[in-house]
Amino acid sequence: MRSKPVQLAIAGVLFVGVGVLVAVFTLALALLGEPDDNVTALTAGKLVIALFALLTLITTLGISLVWLERKQLGRMQGRVGPTRVGPFGLLQVVADGIKLLMKEDVSPSSSSKAIFYVAPLLVFVPSFVVWLTIPLSEDLVVRSLDLGVFFFIAVSVLSIVGLILAGWSSNSKYAILGGFRSAAQLVSYEIPLILGVLSVVMVADSMRFTDVVNAQATVPYIALLPLAFVVFFISGLAEVGRTPFDIYFAESEVVGGPFVEYSGAHWAIFFLAEYVNTFVVAALGALLFLGGWVWPFGDLGQVPSVAIFLGKTYFLAVVIFWVRATLPRLRIDQLMNVGWRLLIPLGFASVILIAVQRFYGWPTWTLTLMSLAALVVAAWVQMRMQRKDAVATAQRYAQRAVEVQPSRRRPGPESQQA
Amino acid sequence: MTAEQTYDTVDMMLNMGPQHPATHGVFRMVLTIDGERVVDVTPHIGYLHRGSEKLAENESYGQVVTLFDRLDYVANLNNELIFCRAAERLMGIEPPERGQYIRVILAELNRLASHLLFIGTYAIDLGAMTPIMYGFRERERIQNMFESVTGARMMHNFIRIGGVKEDVPADFVPRVRALLDDVERGVHECDRLLTFNEVFLARTRGVGVIDVPTALSCGLTGPSLRASGMAYDVRKDYPYEVYPYLSYKVPVGENGDCWDRYYMRVLECYESLSMVRQCLDQMEEGPVMAQMRRIARPPKGEVYVHGENPRGDIGVFLVSDGTDKPYRVKVRPPSFCNLVSLRPMMRDAYIADAVAILGSLDIVLGEVDR
Amino acid sequence: MTEQQPPEEQAAPRPAAHRGPPIEVAEEVLDSRGEHTAGALRLALRDMALESGGRDDVPWVRIGREHLIRAVESCVRSPNLRMDMLHCLFAVDYEERIELNYVLFSLGNGHKSLLKVDVPPDDARVDSLTGVWEAAGWYERETHDLFGVEFDGNPDMSPLILYEGFEGYPGLRSFPLHDYEEW
Repeated sequence: MRSKPVQLAIAGVLFVGVGVLVAVFTLALALLGEPDDNVTALTAGKLVIALFALLTLITTLGISLVWLERKQLGRMQGRVGPTRVGPFGLLQVVADGIKLLMKEDVSPSSSSKAIFYVAPLLVFVPSFVVWLTIPLSEDLVVRSLDLGVFFFIAVSVLSIVGLILAGWSSNSKYAILGGFRSAAQLVSYEIPLILGVLSVVMVADSMRFTDVVNAQATVPYIALLPLAFVVFFISGLAEVGRTPFDIYFAESEVVGGPFVEYSGAHWAIFFLAEYVNTFVVAALGALLFLGGWVWPFGDLGQVPSVAIFLGKTYFLAVVIFWVRATLPRLRIDQLMNVGWRLLIPLGFASVILIAVQRFYGWPTWTLTLMSLAALVVAAWVQMRMQRKDAVATAQRYAQRAVEVQPSRRRPGPESQQA
Repeated sequence: MTAEQTYDTVDMMLNMGPQHPATHGVFRMVLTIDGERVVDVTPHIGYLHRGSEKLAENESYGQVVTLFDRLDYVANLNNELIFCRAAERLMGIEPPERGQYIRVILAELNRLASHLLFIGTYAIDLGAMTPIMYGFRERERIQNMFESVTGARMMHNFIRIGGVKEDVPADFVPRVRALLDDVERGVHECDRLLTFNEVFLARTRGVGVIDVPTALSCGLTGPSLRASGMAYDVRKDYPYEVYPYLSYKVPVGENGDCWDRYYMRVLECYESLSMVRQCLDQMEEGPVMAQMRRIARPPKGEVYVHGENPRGDIGVFLVSDGTDKPYRVKVRPPSFCNLVSLRPMMRDAYIADAVAILGSLDIVLGEVDR
Repeated sequence: MTEQQPPEEQAAPRPAAHRGPPIEVAEEVLDSRGEHTAGALRLALRDMALESGGRDDVPWVRIGREHLIRAVESCVRSPNLRMDMLHCLFAVDYEERIELNYVLFSLGNGHKSLLKVDVPPDDARVDSLTGVWEAAGWYERETHDLFGVEFDGNPDMSPLILYEGFEGYPGLRSFPLHDYEEW
């Protein structure tokens, strides 16, 4: 057991290390290639400051989701959620964070120490690096890359490596099971996610986030591509391991999966990365399908565009938590079925529909119609598979129940007295 | 053939428990897994063995009731009831009718509480977070009612040999009626949230199927046996206390899978509500305790009594040697026997199914290990 | 133990039911259901039964331990009985003998019965019923843990509710309740 100051020092070094890693990585990426015209040219020094500001901002936004989730789940479950620390329990997350940093950092004696300690960073860094190109508003972006969407997909896949390594290096059976599950799950759901994003890119004719958002000035793409949105949203849930796809750290099965052996600050990093990832998926949904910082219904006046974007993002986050409060967890084979037999065909259907529409130059509302039709058919097929049968069974059970009539007549009160 | 030899795989042994969130206590099962598939399962119990049966031989009859409280600590009153019935049978006394009504009301309320806990924990086994909050909320109401009647929330020691400890509070009947309305709403809420949920159906339908002959061979009883299609309920087949005066339904399933086992319990919740309502209608004023010696001293002899617990058929074998302490107390704990059927149910299961199957049996380790 | 004895709640003096000298031995009477089962049992076990009796609807039959498997199988096969469930199996230690009780239920025909088998404590050994009912395995392991009864033919007799290496058989009357050192 190390002393408290040493603990704090280790935690501090860890976080500074993470910051430096993120900064160096993003800096290298940001300085590659030609600077864009429409982005204010930043000097390297300014860029570093901007990146640290971004890191702080994203961390804050990430942990704000922790509070939001706890509060929302509490309300949905007939509880009140955190109330004690700070107003409305807002500082609860900070208190939890301090607690986690003060805790002893335990690692299994038989683990591969180097990989064990690097794995959290490998999960954490990609979830921050993607923010390099995700615009918070028209101007608030570190680098507006031409291939922004592509960059996002390329980088976010990297966190799988961290999860597998975490599972492998822990030398624990639950961790390795969780690591394998995460590998299978994340790789499978990357494809429908890409297909959903690809649909948007095809309609917007650009991979730059700013262009995609500006193309939604009149109609957000969710109205145009409901099918692509559903595919994107479901596979996004799976990508960040939210219920009902939280099978790789399912606490009632593999007890936390890859994270089972982690404690203290390293676990905190995983935790943070999870919520930042959730925020990334919500933000991406807001950018690609809800029109980002664009408000299509009239002039909002003085409301800053960042607020509109964040509002949409938090709305999607609330939906994600709502799903969590409602649904149980899928099994691994069912997860694979949903991914490969349902979402990937639907994703391809969406891409093909758009291709056909664009090839023949049909009006855009046909896209909505076709998309909705495909969605309804898929939903109907899926519903019919389980639910109808179960409802029929339940009705049969209600009729089949053995009725028991009173076999004895209740004696009167007189006989009781006797 | 050569390919199989070249790429030989080894099954992995996964030790689930005794400290695992899904084993409902200190239960341990050693799973032999091939990837995500369960090849074999070996259950290990005994982590909570307190020697209750041995202890009971050294306590007076009145004190043994407290030991029974601690067997199935989710359905305490049902356990108290079965021991008191055994002792009464040996002594040849019959509790007064009001006492029996109070016993049945409390037992059925406890069954409700137990089933609500099951619905909640089963949902959490399957990854749904919300039903446990709803289930606990309703269970809390029932426990508050218990507290007002017995003075304790769990370890009541209220049902005594010859009746119940004391009469219920004056406002008992209206309060229970209000409670039943609340609980009914809560059960319905859990039911609506979970029963026909697509994901829930996918996880439970066709999982952990057991047919009636295997179930009987394993000694499976209670809602789990009824889910397989055997309409066996001690309250129906061997009615005791005031159950003969009540009319109710015994839900019976067909498939014997996890969903059926879950749904039987949901349906039983509604039946328990109706039974308590009937008891409240029929109950009349009167004594609650039989006239008997202060110290229970049953004559020499032995008796085997069984009754319907939330988890299944609980049996008590009581041998008296004529002193004030039982010579031998043997409990047939339903969870113990239900666990035997874990192995046949686990055929072709995934790891996630192992959790679902174990959860659907609704075991309480205090009773399994005694 | 701070537990109170069951108190008499009625304040008013009432004529007590069982005042006076306590009844020594409980009356054993079978009801009609029990008589029905007992008749069928007598028929099925006519050449094996040593002693019989019963109370309420649970008749019991005592048989020799060498007949156990045969008796159980005839209980299972007999068309009147069709005992389909081993409801419980337990031992009672009467010091000079250990009595094994097999509670057989027929859920289909509505029979309940007890088969009793006596074994001497120094040679506590009986055939296993694992071939007849799957449930027997765990009961036999438990009985072996607590009473030291050996069950021939049970493939797995590892400790079930006690830990490996526990000395003695705590179910026996001779096993002390308090005065033994565990660690």
